[in-house]
Amino acid sequence: MDKVIEIKNLTKSYGNGRGINDISLDIFKGDIFGFLGPNGAGKTTAMKIMTGLVRPDFGDVKIFGYSVSEEFEKAMENVGCLIEIAESYQYLSAFENLKQLARYYPKVDHKRIDEVLELTGLIKFKNEKSKKFSLGMKQRLGLAAAVLSKPKVVILDEPLNGLDVEGMIDIRKMIRYLTETEQTTFFISSHLIHDVELTCTRIGVIYNGKMLNVESTHTILKNYATLENYFVSEVERNGRVPSSID
Amino acid sequence: MKLKKKTVMLATFTVGTLLLATTALADIASKSGYDELKDALKVTAQQSSETFDSFTLDYSLALKDNGKTLTSNNETSKFDRLKGASEGSSSGVSLMGEKYSSQTYSDKMTMIRVSDGDPTYYVTEFTKEREDRSFTNPFKEDRADDLEKIADAIVGSLKDHVIVTENPDGSKGLAGSLSELQIPSLVNAVASFQLKQEFNGIQTQMPHLTKDVFVKEVKGTAKVNKEGVMESILGSAVLSGKDEQGTAHDISIEVLVTMKDINSTTVTKPDLTGKKVVRNIAQYYSKSEISNPEKFVGKFKNDILIEKDGKFVKVGQRFIDITHMENKLVEGRYYEEYKPGFEEYATSTRDIEFSAQFEKDQRGNANFEYTTESGGKGQGNLYIDDFHGKVNFNLNNRNQSPRGGMMFDSNFTPDLD
Amino acid sequence: MAVFQAALINEIEKLYKKKKVLVAVLLSLAVIVIGQLAIVGVRSGLGLRGAGSLEFPMLVLSVFVNTVLPLFTALVAIDSFSGEFTQHTMRITLTRPVSRFKIFCAKITAIMLFILGALLLLLVFSVLAGLIFNTNSATLDSFSRTIFSYIVSLFPMLVLALGIVLLANIFKSGITVFFVSIIIFLTFKVLGLIFSQYSSILLTTQLDWYNLFLVNSFPFAKIVRQFLIMLGSGMMLFTTGFYLYDKKEF
Repeated sequence: MDKVIEIKNLTKSYGNGRGINDISLDIFKGDIFGFLGPNGAGKTTAMKIMTGLVRPDFGDVKIFGYSVSEEFEKAMENVGCLIEIAESYQYLSAFENLKQLARYYPKVDHKRIDEVLELTGLIKFKNEKSKKFSLGMKQRLGLAAAVLSKPKVVILDEPLNGLDVEGMIDIRKMIRYLTETEQTTFFISSHLIHDVELTCTRIGVIYNGKMLNVESTHTILKNYATLENYFVSEVERNGRVPSSID
Repeated sequence: MKLKKKTVMLATFTVGTLLLATTALADIASKSGYDELKDALKVTAQQSSETFDSFTLDYSLALKDNGKTLTSNNETSKFDRLKGASEGSSSGVSLMGEKYSSQTYSDKMTMIRVSDGDPTYYVTEFTKEREDRSFTNPFKEDRADDLEKIADAIVGSLKDHVIVTENPDGSKGLAGSLSELQIPSLVNAVASFQLKQEFNGIQTQMPHLTKDVFVKEVKGTAKVNKEGVMESILGSAVLSGKDEQGTAHDISIEVLVTMKDINSTTVTKPDLTGKKVVRNIAQYYSKSEISNPEKFVGKFKNDILIEKDGKFVKVGQRFIDITHMENKLVEGRYYEEYKPGFEEYATSTRDIEFSAQFEKDQRGNANFEYTTESGGKGQGNLYIDDFHGKVNFNLNNRNQSPRGGMMFDSNFTPDLD
Repeated sequence: MAVFQAALINEIEKLYKKKKVLVAVLLSLAVIVIGQLAIVGVRSGLGLRGAGSLEFPMLVLSVFVNTVLPLFTALVAIDSFSGEFTQHTMRITLTRPVSRFKIFCAKITAIMLFILGALLLLLVFSVLAGLIFNTNSATLDSFSRTIFSYIVSLFPMLVLALGIVLLANIFKSGITVFFVSIIIFLTFKVLGLIFSQYSSILLTTQLDWYNLFLVNSFPFAKIVRQFLIMLGSGMMLFTTGFYLYDKKEF
């Protein structure tokens, strides 16, 4: 299988003691990888390093073989992402916001912009300034931006934030659809166990800045009744060790 | 790749720093034409007040309206620094169209003045040698440094309008010109307003500019010899505007100053034999000292008056008898004398001996303390007025309370009878 | 290059869509109108000409480069950096396949274009106002010098912008950057007055360097020196600013 994302010994520590410690991870083509962990476990830090927003203290991330820290443009060429809160330029309309991004991809034209607006259900608000958008609409716009360039890899940090049930179902559908039709690889972080169970094909558990285990959803569900059981047992098995030191 | 980026950044930063540092140093070291001009002026002022034994300054000014001369003035001043003497002649045409000329001579002991219209030589003789004042260095005055800074700030970006040409013999030419475009609008407005007010103020012969007044051009050239002394400086300015009738005027001012005959100028005192001469003795000369203090030795008096039945009646006299006076000290006696029949006013007749020191830097002003016969103490003040030949005398506690209608007078005139 | 172009177009679009540019245009026109009214007032009130048709643009420029233009350059530069830092919109661009160097350059270029646009706009309007309302005093030489003066004013403004960008990458809040910029600006002005013999190395003095191009003799050496000083400080400010920007975490 093709290695799409290769994370090696990734380490980053912040002053407050939080951060990530020696994370290594490989993501393969067609994966819908679920990055599961409680709040503050280091999910966002890892994803920020993957998208170049933060520099690691140690280690590196390679996407399609290109190092994020050294060959950023090439590494990001086939990546779409949504990190933390979906941001947009408030004074620009939904269309203009996407148009801004489209300029970086020669293949993306106005038709494609309309397409992703349709896909995320925002087409009605195409020409409205994002200032007036609700949290959910902003999140949809962020997702539209992430998939705009038909990326081969999509990195999503808590993509279901602020979405209602209908929205969650839409997004899940979209993810499935893209994996099936365009062989898109997804790297999704979430603290919602149920959601990860429904969406992802492979699951990695991060706890206290450390990667505990990576396993396919299929295998997990063979051995455990639910993903929640697996998560709890993983944390019990590994997580207690560092916490007992405290 | 990462290393390369850092190297490039570091290199760029270093090159930038070096570029900034070297050019900044070069820029500070390099002198603008304006600085050269300032240096030349300083050297010239310093040399002429301290080094040159003698020199001649020529000064001429012309004011023209559309090319027609309104007024002109030529002056030649010769300075002999060793003798402390100077000689000057001035001639020209006034705004009224009248020609005039005059000569002056001055040395440490005399000052002579004569003019065309009146062949009388006015001679002022000084009783004491004056300080050498033939030429003082203006850059050594108090606050000259501050004024220079202010001038620098005002000149600001115009500094580079002065061009320097260096000649093979080591002398330099300085030239500068400013057209209306180059003069900052604010400077132009202030200057033209000043000039307009000045021209329109008093002289009726001047064209009165009322509209569209502006400074059209300012030009200057100067020659500096190889010793750095300015030999000549020529400046001209053109003020343009329209009068009430709408006629356009270009009023130009030209000033030329040249310095020549350095160390070879001779100052000669005019020969007064057979000439009509009016002499006078300088009454004063020094700021802080009275000349010929001994002339004040003697009696000064004034009348003691009272008002009675609607008339002034003299009841007696006050006297000051100065027995000794020199530059720092004045001594004497104050007393009052009453006429027969008015002795009742003499209840507090004073007879005071005083010895007063002149206050430093206060010409003719002296304070003293005294003790009366009855043992009372008091303070007094004495002022020697050598402009009017009078003495002003005050006893401090006396002034406020006139007794029995007696009028107080602190002014004493010499008793020459 | 295509990526840089995209980034630049984006920056220009953002600048244009915000109301700032409109305000800048209106304020520039206001400066011209006020200036022209002042001239008319001086002319009828004091009988002075005030300014001729080409002195007027120079008057406008001399006021503009020391007041309105630095102010707007500061606002635009601060908005482009501090504004996007605090609103987290910087991330939108940063996670696209475009290097931080290109984004940084695109932002600087956009600010430069803004300054250039402001100068050209001002030039056109002040020349028009000058020709319409003032006594004609234009010659071809003085006209070309006027245009040149406006164009060369871009350089010191750009250095100023780089300085503000550096500050925007040091301080978190845009307001802090703004006030620190103003304090530094005023300090430089005062220093320039007190130490006028060294003032030519201060940026605030260089804002007036267009005057050098008005000198009849064209003081080439002086112009080159001033240019190199600006270039040197520009390089230092640029690299330091970029170094901090590149290191920043979002």
